[in-house]
Amino acid sequence: MHIVVCAKQIPDPETPPAAFKIDAATNKVVPAQGIAPVLSQFDGIAAEAALRIKEAGGDGKVTVISMGGESAQAAIKQVLAMGADEGVLLNDPAFEDGDSHTTAKVLAAAIKELGDVDAVFCGRQAADWDMGQVGLLIAENLGWPVTIIAKGVALEGNALKVERVLADGFEKTEVNLPAVVTVSNEFGEPRYPKLPQIMAAAKKTVTKKTAADLGLDPSEVGKAGARLQLQKLFIPEKGAQVEFIEGETPQEQAANLVAKLKADKAI
Amino acid sequence: MAVSTNRVNQSTGAPRRLVGAWWGPAVGASAIGFYATATAPRDEAGREIFFNVPAGSWAVYVFLAALMGLLVWGFVRHASLWGIGRPTPGLLRDIPSRLRNTARLGLAQDKVRRDRYAGIMHWSIMSSIVVLTLVTAQVAVEADTPLHFLYGDYYLFFSFYGDLFGVIGLIGVGMALYRRYFADFHRIRWDERLEDHLIILGLGLVLLTGFITEAARIQVTELDQHPDWAVWSFGGYAIANFLDLFGFSESQVLTFHEWTWWFHVSAAFAWLGMIVFTRLDHLFFAPVNAFFLRTDAPGRLAKIEDIETQEVFGVGYIQDFTWKQLFELDACVRCGRCTDVCPANIAGQPLSPMHLIQDLKMHLADVGPAIQQHRHETGEAGREVSTVALTGDVIKDETLWACRTCGACMQECPVMIEHVPTIVDMRRFLVMNEARIPATAQGALENLEMRGHPWRGTALERTTWMEGFDDVPIFDGTQEYLYWVGCSGSLVERNLPITKAVFRLLRESGASFGVMGQEETCNGDPARRLGNEYLYQILAQQLVETFKAKNVQKVITNCPHCFNTFKNEYPQFDGYFEVLHHTEFLNDRLHDGSLKATHAINANVTYHDSCYLGRLNGVYDAPRQILEMVPGASLTEMQRNLSKGLCCGAGGGNMWQEEVGERRVNQVRSEEAIRTGADQLISNCPFCIQMFEDGVPGVQPEEEGRIRPFDIAELLEDAVFGPDKREEPVSAGEPSA
Ligand code: SF4
Ligand code: SF4
Ligand code: SF4
Repeated sequence: MHIVVCAKQIPDPETPPAAFKIDAATNKVVPAQGIAPVLSQFDGIAAEAALRIKEAGGDGKVTVISMGGESAQAAIKQVLAMGADEGVLLNDPAFEDGDSHTTAKVLAAAIKELGDVDAVFCGRQAADWDMGQVGLLIAENLGWPVTIIAKGVALEGNALKVERVLADGFEKTEVNLPAVVTVSNEFGEPRYPKLPQIMAAAKKTVTKKTAADLGLDPSEVGKAGARLQLQKLFIPEKGAQVEFIEGETPQEQAANLVAKLKADKAI
Repeated sequence: MAVSTNRVNQSTGAPRRLVGAWWGPAVGASAIGFYATATAPRDEAGREIFFNVPAGSWAVYVFLAALMGLLVWGFVRHASLWGIGRPTPGLLRDIPSRLRNTARLGLAQDKVRRDRYAGIMHWSIMSSIVVLTLVTAQVAVEADTPLHFLYGDYYLFFSFYGDLFGVIGLIGVGMALYRRYFADFHRIRWDERLEDHLIILGLGLVLLTGFITEAARIQVTELDQHPDWAVWSFGGYAIANFLDLFGFSESQVLTFHEWTWWFHVSAAFAWLGMIVFTRLDHLFFAPVNAFFLRTDAPGRLAKIEDIETQEVFGVGYIQDFTWKQLFELDACVRCGRCTDVCPANIAGQPLSPMHLIQDLKMHLADVGPAIQQHRHETGEAGREVSTVALTGDVIKDETLWACRTCGACMQECPVMIEHVPTIVDMRRFLVMNEARIPATAQGALENLEMRGHPWRGTALERTTWMEGFDDVPIFDGTQEYLYWVGCSGSLVERNLPITKAVFRLLRESGASFGVMGQEETCNGDPARRLGNEYLYQILAQQLVETFKAKNVQKVITNCPHCFNTFKNEYPQFDGYFEVLHHTEFLNDRLHDGSLKATHAINANVTYHDSCYLGRLNGVYDAPRQILEMVPGASLTEMQRNLSKGLCCGAGGGNMWQEEVGERRVNQVRSEEAIRTGADQLISNCPFCIQMFEDGVPGVQPEEEGRIRPFDIAELLEDAVFGPDKREEPVSAGEPSA
């Protein structure tokens, strides 16, 4: 059983509001000073789900893949410290500024290249853009079935029993391997890495792959291949205006309020 | 300011030597005895040794030899178990302090006397045993060496103090019997065993039969012949007079004497033999453990050297303790003092330091021999020998997590056991080796790793508190002091007013200081206390380097945890700084006049000694002196104060844990504060303040008349700048874990 976990490094969602800034010119988030990026929370949970299956089965392998800059090594190491066996970093300037489609394309290419993969586990969504598409699109690219927002995953024979979170309850499904599963926070907390594993992970080398390694043309990935265009990124301004309604008596105040609301076309 | 004086009766400074000198007279008396050998004329008072019991002479030596053999055997048996532990570094460092500890804590029993009743009781029993042993030794010397001195005036004096200490011993036994069987006194019954009865009843019996034997001899040899000698043995004399009333014949008395003599001697040796099998072994182990007691700061935890190369992290197998840690398990006398003062235990949470020590001791006895044998045969560590897990089976996880590292147990332990390092060693195993951590504590640790502070979910920045001040100096190496704000001082809403107060006071005092602002990162204390020594070392190493790069020499902190870490633990990373808690610094400035508290506060306050400032670092006076200088503030101490103070519940990483058990520690302590009738609860630690903000409403649901927790800096800010200048603190900043 070989499971691939897709992991994304994102800006810390707990960045204090005052430190969260956007560069209007480039339409990008300015990395907050002194606040290191983190592993997307849902991907940690996906890793936990994969590791539990590996441990339950006795043998098996978990490979963590991340697409991103050099700093994304930290996210990979974190999953390695949790117990994953190998790490792959998909790192190429051509991959930058893509959308869900191009990301899924790159990840799927890397998974194909690994060859013997039985399942792909992703977080239900990346905790920065919250689109929740990449998992589905990987399945699309691979031509595999996909089941999303899992709160429980177990291996049975050649199939995964997946318990899914619905708006009003849970759904039990079964999907034949190979398959893609996206895992939700209802699954539980990712484990705290043991120190011996942290140290072992620190010693592991992460394989790096570029577009060329994966046989991808730079024009079909990253910004060049993206179909989604970001128009404007901004922090909405929140304002509140208060006006006190004058009036000698409560009746008069009520009348003034109604007149005001009518004038503002609120009623 | 009026300090109402219900302070717990105990010293904060020089130890009291009042009772400590008791043994001087006893030793002196014996010396006089030898001196008397040369001086006294021969035909004076004296007695026949082994009177009426001719076989006694050899019997005593047989008993003695057996006892010695037993003691040696017992020692070897114990020592071979301690021997499975790891080497104990630094045990021979600082010998003068160690000898001082042996004298003060071991022989003079400073800790025993922290419970006054027990102090008197224990002193009586101990001195009686020591003196009567000396008495017996003199008899032996008289009988079996050429020296001859038990006659004349010295004989009479000898008789006198022998009886005196016999009576003192009986008084001690009486006090012990009262506590054990009649008083409503719990702690000694939490783990009561058969031996406890045997020890105390046995000793009573030995002392009593001693008197009766003596009385029988006096009745026959002195009562009529030398009544002027007999009165010196006043105990025996009184009983002899009583026996005389029955009009027994001389031969009857002689038979009686023979029987009681044998009984007394056998019982005495049997009692001494119990040293090997019972907690009486503290007789030897307690003074030795006083010698082993570490002489550095009690708030310091040991560093794991070369952590990268360890096979196992922390202690998850009994043989991974140091042998000193194993040795001290044997010293425990099950007195219950530690458990009695343990905040977790007081709140009904699953931790009793006494049971923890006893469980470890039992486990060592269970698996130690097999481990030892395995070692002997294979030379391996033998971690797989024990089938029960030390952490989890022997000591439950929740027990380890409930500890506040408050040090109350170590403060009280009469045999100087150090519980906290032992507990933290096992936590280290849980966290680093097994990754078994309560979820909320794990969140704090992850946050430390990811964000450099333990306050998951805070919306504040390290510079938020500076808003409204345009003159906060950034430390650049030219100022004298670094004001270390700390994560709690900057990232928890409730504490911002404290930080601002300290800042304003420092500025007002004219001190040359700066802050690090965004560049602060946690110094690692929560990681170390929660058991993640690896993470701690990374954080500490980094910060020491930053401090050095910035040329930091002196640090002022508003957090006793930061204070303790910088002061006591950073030297382990070659970081030597002069560290002051703000109470110390501000107290000095009040004394030298650069700060003036001129505005009357008119409040009844009570003062909470945080463990990390008080018990673990001995800063008791500075904050109280500040309170004295605040006009109109009157201090009422809580029942538990100074070194007996009760933890607020936050220490040892419990700030980031859900409490399990009957009650919450912060509520127990809040209740105690409320009982003083004070309207302000003053502390010196941002954690304490948070705990009380959280705990008080649970005890006083009505907002009206509720006691309000403040840092002493907030109170002083009022007194210096005027009460209307204080910024109202926002409601409690619970960590959103
Ligand atoms: S340090 Fe405090 S909480 Fe921990 S065992 Fe000792 S008394 Fe109890
Ligand atoms: S550890 Fe110390 S205080 Fe606790 S029961 Fe044992 S001897 Fe008493
Ligand atoms: S130890 Fe100091 S720096 Fe670290 S969390 Fe505590 S208050 Fe903050």
